[in-house]
Amino acid sequence: MAMRLWASKSASYFKISVFNRGFATVLKDLKYADSHEWVKVEGSSATVGITDHAQDHLGDVVYVELPELGTAVTQGSSFGAVESVKATSDINSPVSGKVVEVNKELDESPGLVNGSPYEKGWIMKVELSNNDELKSLMDSDSYSKFCDEEDAKH
Amino acid sequence: MRIPRKLEVWRMGTMNYLNALKLQEKLASDRKACKISDTLLSLQHPPTYTLGKRRTDHNLLVSEDELKTMGAELHYTQRGGDITYHGPSQAILYPIISLRDIGLGARNYVEKLELTMINLASTYGVQARPGRKCETGVWVGERKIGAIGVRISSGISSHGLAFNINPDLNYFKHIVPCGLADKEVTSLTREANAELPTEEVIEEQLIASFAQLLNYDNIEWKDNASAS
Repeated sequence: MAMRLWASKSASYFKISVFNRGFATVLKDLKYADSHEWVKVEGSSATVGITDHAQDHLGDVVYVELPELGTAVTQGSSFGAVESVKATSDINSPVSGKVVEVNKELDESPGLVNGSPYEKGWIMKVELSNNDELKSLMDSDSYSKFCDEEDAKH
Repeated sequence: MRIPRKLEVWRMGTMNYLNALKLQEKLASDRKACKISDTLLSLQHPPTYTLGKRRTDHNLLVSEDELKTMGAELHYTQRGGDITYHGPSQAILYPIISLRDIGLGARNYVEKLELTMINLASTYGVQARPGRKCETGVWVGERKIGAIGVRISSGISSHGLAFNINPDLNYFKHIVPCGLADKEVTSLTREANAELPTEEVIEEQLIASFAQLLNYDNIEWKDNASAS
């Protein structure tokens, strides 16, 4: 319930359309990887985080392992990890490039990933090395469908 | 048509921690490449203390030298969770399974690991419960009987659960177990009023409990298997 209220408030703030699928929010204008990370591209720069579906399936995040600045990341490869409920889960980069900024707020407040996965819970910013790679990512509609199919498996 | 789910169980006996870790890494890599099906390692460790990714070594109350004198090892790992002790008479399950294939997230998987132990305990009349917030694990009252620490990489799990059948609980005095200062540790032997069968039988029941909760259709047993 709170997610829906938040979602519509952010939607009007950002003037973007929000598509609610059941309880997890998916934002249009972002691209998605099948390992549940999102990327917001602005020119040759990208912001990366994990989706609402991901944070819901993880549980309360207690720790985020951030990459070092300047690290090279590769699409589909692990760049860090999050810990929740005694489980560390690797997070994979949806894009290739160089890490230029990380969200230091997550050191003190890892819960931002749960409460604000698309906004305050962003994880890293990357200088893209290959914009073509974005074509292999899903748009919001495909990602929503993907989540539904995954959830139907159990 | 639903494809039958198979779980391959390797019963390893007592295994050194690092050797078990290397085996898990190999199996996880093979599982990711779809060379093997879901696999479960069932084993015990010699006295070993381990830390999780956050390296909370402030919860180790003795020096590493003192640990060596006791005959215990210390290892840093990539799993979630805080500091814990593993040793003889503690049943360990390390499922190396594809959570991604069944669409299971960390939270649901950990809940199933908790239930695996809770269901087993109830077989012996012990009423266990899952941990409250920030206390993941399995409890009997305010005493901890089972611990969990998991790693998920590319959707494949490693590490897993540790269930106290009858370990020497004194070893827990040298740590703040799981970072929880005012909590006791307990075991099935302490809590059960019924007479217990052999550890081997209890371990088999624990595996069966896990297999049932994760909806496996059949189990293939491999004893003292080695990585090929």
